[in-house]
Amino acid sequence: MRLASSLDVTRLLRAWGEGNEEALHKLTPLVYEQLRSTARRYMAHERPGHTLQTTALIHETYLRLVDVRKVKWQNRVHFLAICAQLMRRILIDFARSRGSQKRRGAAPHVDLQETMLVTPEPDFDLLALDDALKRLALVDERQSKVVELRFFGGLSVKETAEVMKVSSETVMRDWKIAKVWLFRELRGGDRDGA
Amino acid sequence: MEPERWRRVRELFHSALNLTGDQRAAFLREKCPDDDEVRKEVESLLSHESSAAGFIESPAFDIVAQLVAKDDANEQNADQNLVGRISPRFRLLDKLGSGGMGVVYKAEDTKLRRSVALKFLPPELSRDPQALERFQREAYAASALNHPNICTVYDVDEADGQPFIAMELLEGQTLERRIGAQPLPTAELLELAVQISDGLKAAHARGIIHRDIKPSNIFVTPRGQPKILDFGLAKLEEPETPDQQQSISEQQLADPEWHPNLILTRTGMAIGTAGYMSPEQIRGEELDVRTDLFSFGLVLYEMATGQHAFKGETGPELQNAIIEDMPSPVRHLNPTVPAKLENIIDFAIKKDRDARYQSAAEIRADLAALKRAQELSSPIRRWLLALGTLVVLLVVGASLWLAKRQPPALPELKLRQLTVNSFENRVTSGAISPDGRYLAYADINGMYIKVIQTGETRMVPVPSGLNSKSVQWEIGSGGSPAAIWFPDSTRFVANAHPAAQGPALWGTEDTNIWVVSIFGGAPQKLRDKAVAYAVSPVDSLIAFTTNKGRELWLMGPSGEQARKILETPPASPILGMLLTPDGRRIVYGQEDEAGGGKVLSRNLEGGPEVALSALSDLKNVDDFSFWLPDGRFLYSVREPGDIPDKCNFWTTRLDPRTGQLIDKPKRLSDWTGSCMSYVSATAEGKRVVFLKGVGHITSYLADVQANGRRILKPRHFPLSESSDGVADWSADGKNVILASNRTGNFGIYKQALNEETAQPLVTNGYGRNPRATPDGNWILYLGAGDSAGEPVMRAPIRGGPSQLLFTARPGKSLISCARPPSEMCAIAEPNEDRKQVIISTVDPLKGRGPELLRFPLDPNENWWFWDLSPDGARVAATRSPAGPIYILSVRGESIREIKVNGWSNLQEFSWAADGRGLFLVAGVPGKHVLLHVDLQGNARVLWENAGASGETLALPSPDGRYLAIQSWVTNGNLWMMENF
Repeated sequence: MRLASSLDVTRLLRAWGEGNEEALHKLTPLVYEQLRSTARRYMAHERPGHTLQTTALIHETYLRLVDVRKVKWQNRVHFLAICAQLMRRILIDFARSRGSQKRRGAAPHVDLQETMLVTPEPDFDLLALDDALKRLALVDERQSKVVELRFFGGLSVKETAEVMKVSSETVMRDWKIAKVWLFRELRGGDRDGA
Repeated sequence: MEPERWRRVRELFHSALNLTGDQRAAFLREKCPDDDEVRKEVESLLSHESSAAGFIESPAFDIVAQLVAKDDANEQNADQNLVGRISPRFRLLDKLGSGGMGVVYKAEDTKLRRSVALKFLPPELSRDPQALERFQREAYAASALNHPNICTVYDVDEADGQPFIAMELLEGQTLERRIGAQPLPTAELLELAVQISDGLKAAHARGIIHRDIKPSNIFVTPRGQPKILDFGLAKLEEPETPDQQQSISEQQLADPEWHPNLILTRTGMAIGTAGYMSPEQIRGEELDVRTDLFSFGLVLYEMATGQHAFKGETGPELQNAIIEDMPSPVRHLNPTVPAKLENIIDFAIKKDRDARYQSAAEIRADLAALKRAQELSSPIRRWLLALGTLVVLLVVGASLWLAKRQPPALPELKLRQLTVNSFENRVTSGAISPDGRYLAYADINGMYIKVIQTGETRMVPVPSGLNSKSVQWEIGSGGSPAAIWFPDSTRFVANAHPAAQGPALWGTEDTNIWVVSIFGGAPQKLRDKAVAYAVSPVDSLIAFTTNKGRELWLMGPSGEQARKILETPPASPILGMLLTPDGRRIVYGQEDEAGGGKVLSRNLEGGPEVALSALSDLKNVDDFSFWLPDGRFLYSVREPGDIPDKCNFWTTRLDPRTGQLIDKPKRLSDWTGSCMSYVSATAEGKRVVFLKGVGHITSYLADVQANGRRILKPRHFPLSESSDGVADWSADGKNVILASNRTGNFGIYKQALNEETAQPLVTNGYGRNPRATPDGNWILYLGAGDSAGEPVMRAPIRGGPSQLLFTARPGKSLISCARPPSEMCAIAEPNEDRKQVIISTVDPLKGRGPELLRFPLDPNENWWFWDLSPDGARVAATRSPAGPIYILSVRGESIREIKVNGWSNLQEFSWAADGRGLFLVAGVPGKHVLLHVDLQGNARVLWENAGASGETLALPSPDGRYLAIQSWVTNGNLWMMENF
């Protein structure tokens, strides 16, 4: 059981896709709720040797957010693109609010490594990634879009290719180089390599 | 980097990827000899290629979720670290729990020296400044709510930058846990429901909507007091003036989080809460107080049935169900629920908010009225209420034989009381043997066989393996005639119910059938999980139901050859039955799909069932009755109206095929103050035995110790069979003033503490509320009023005729008098619009004197109470059972408000003789609790009266040495009627 009516989500997604910013504000908490629920699953299930299938998680997220049986998208591709964009916006906002909270010093400082049961993820800055992605868009918009769809939208290579109307091979190539480019951007100082 | 160059970088990068490190350098030198920038860029990228392998391969959502998990883990650790830490004001003691709403600690408020609960807000809330500000604003609003049925918010503050709410520390369990998956007993349900609606009413009166009423948000203290939690998370109701409305609307537009779903989400609504949303809430419409009433209706539904009203696997399914579906009728799931309660629930959960209850006060009034009706009726009556109209129909259904003889002329009824139990151990059921020699009966303590001729009574031994305290025997089954003796009058059948359940919950699942012999020995068990209804007068077959009342079976006298006669659909259990005197047909009542009832008859050997309807000519039939051998149909009628109960026997004749009356009903009795059930007759039909349930007033006297803070075990005073209610003390403290019905009608008496008889003071046309004047000369009382007003009467305390002193305003006034040396008496009269009571002095010689003060009433409450202090200088008054009690000077200046800590459902009270506290009665399910409350609101339990079901009042003697207590109790005894 969950809170948000899927019809609401669908309606809001569509509205947002049509440029209604207000819809984003209404969708955000629904995603947050899902985030919390996924986080709880991590807390509960993640143990050494037990890895959650991340793609399955993402898929589930969409299933939960939007009752796909009731969605009559004329353009499934359009829907996936919207979802990815939306997810980017929301997750970045989330990271921003989380970051500001930390800066205010409200969250107590505890050593992450000691307390976490979760597999340590590269502790990169999502906000910095977002900025880098914006810079990448200036250099190569298609690559930037591929990253948005795959990383923020959780789409497979095939789905990404469908959305971008290019071949899967192209997506793979874009993805590879964009990843490296972004990784280097985030490492900042060692741009010139080792 | 310009696009063209970037395109080259891209191509070179991908080509180089397939090469080894050494090859790459050569490859790049060869491909771009002239462009250092491109080459360096590709080299740089290639150098990061292997380290970037796992980078952003997990979707962002997943990474963020892990970050959230980290934060939560950190916060949990931080929480642990908080325990024991001293904030300026609160010292954390213990972690009580955590959940969607954050973490809750027990803490000590070092300033006010009390224990409190601190709730730290969920991380999302505390991170979002806007949400935080709104939360704090609302928590402050909620902190203005001070009501015994709302968990009090004391403060909103921060510790180490973490915002928290300081609130009342509660013991007990959530209503969700209390319900489990089982229906609550109706008495408990109503007790809780009235109080919850009290709490809602108080919040709504301040414009605060809860928006998330559900069983897990209601706490039940060990004393059975419900407390609504998390009002801090409610949203202030929008102001109604156009100006404010507009500004709010602008604010809403500006506030991206205004959407109600958001608020609910952001405040951490747990999984499953979707099941309690109102339709308008699901649609995201603007909400008003009625959304809470819908949710409250769903809570009532769950209390009544033990099940969720709406079911769904997913949120959308649930929400669709709330918008589209009708839940199963309450009484299909729990047939013991009174029909009236089902109506209340149905009305509360109307999908159109204009069609449901419009205010908490409305639903409270209906619940309180039902509660009162239930309390004033015996447990048996409660069972009958549960059976509802069906019983009425059943009565009439039965006749397939009909003697044509006319009834003989009716001589005077001959009545004999067969049992003399007190209400503490009232008789609960019984039946006379067919030969008229024996009476089988059960009371609270056990089961007995009495020889009617001699009165010799033998207790039936408890079967080994059964605990006498855990079993409540029932001779017959409520709502059906008690025809459970075998025709030879040597044995009878009894149902053993769990004593822990009230009759309202008795059903086949926990009940066993036993057979008892007059020749002694312990009962023998015949069958588990079944309820016996009748023994055939012809062949001794026992008719019983099983499988939750869905199956009707017959078995032989030793339990042999059991066979199923019929089975009903799950929603239509059998509610009662009788066998025809020829033993060949069964007449049974069955619930129909619409929640009503129908009466059917069929031959035990098979054949079609015949619906017996068309019985609407018999009105207000109270109990299941039957055909006498002379063909008359005997039934009882409850006359409409409130108190006292008025039930009487009637007879008529019915056409067996149509249920049409073929003779006018004739009344047999003219009784007041009682109702009948468990009716049985001898084989020749000359003697009828019935259980007479009587509500009456009983009084006690107790020695007071420790300045009113302790009493010695109260003893009955006066000792009498009649209803004797202690109403006041004479000014010298030597006599109690009684209201008694010892002559059949209520009158005023006085009785000295050291005497056994009472002297009549007023015996004709008495009204109510007698009070002794401090000058020691008079009794003031209120006579029977009409629309013109209520006569205030004066009777000399030494005897003599009453005189009219003056006429009080119409409506129920209340008189109170001080104690010597003060000479003050005063009357509180509701004014015409019932918005306030006007308290004026009363002079026993001159009549009404100057007005002292006015006390505003609660327009939604029918109840108020007041008492004048012994020194005549102060007034204690309340306008709601929820309190508070206001202490005012007689000039109307407010002195203080007493909030009775830990108690609600306050009833009548009186000043302690020293003027430093009040004796106060609080109603809790199943009993009344007598309290001494000091003027700070500290309550001390003096006595729990488990038998009390109606009003209770305690009055101290003028010297403070004694406490006189009057209680309304319900008793049951068996009576025999002859010559009818």
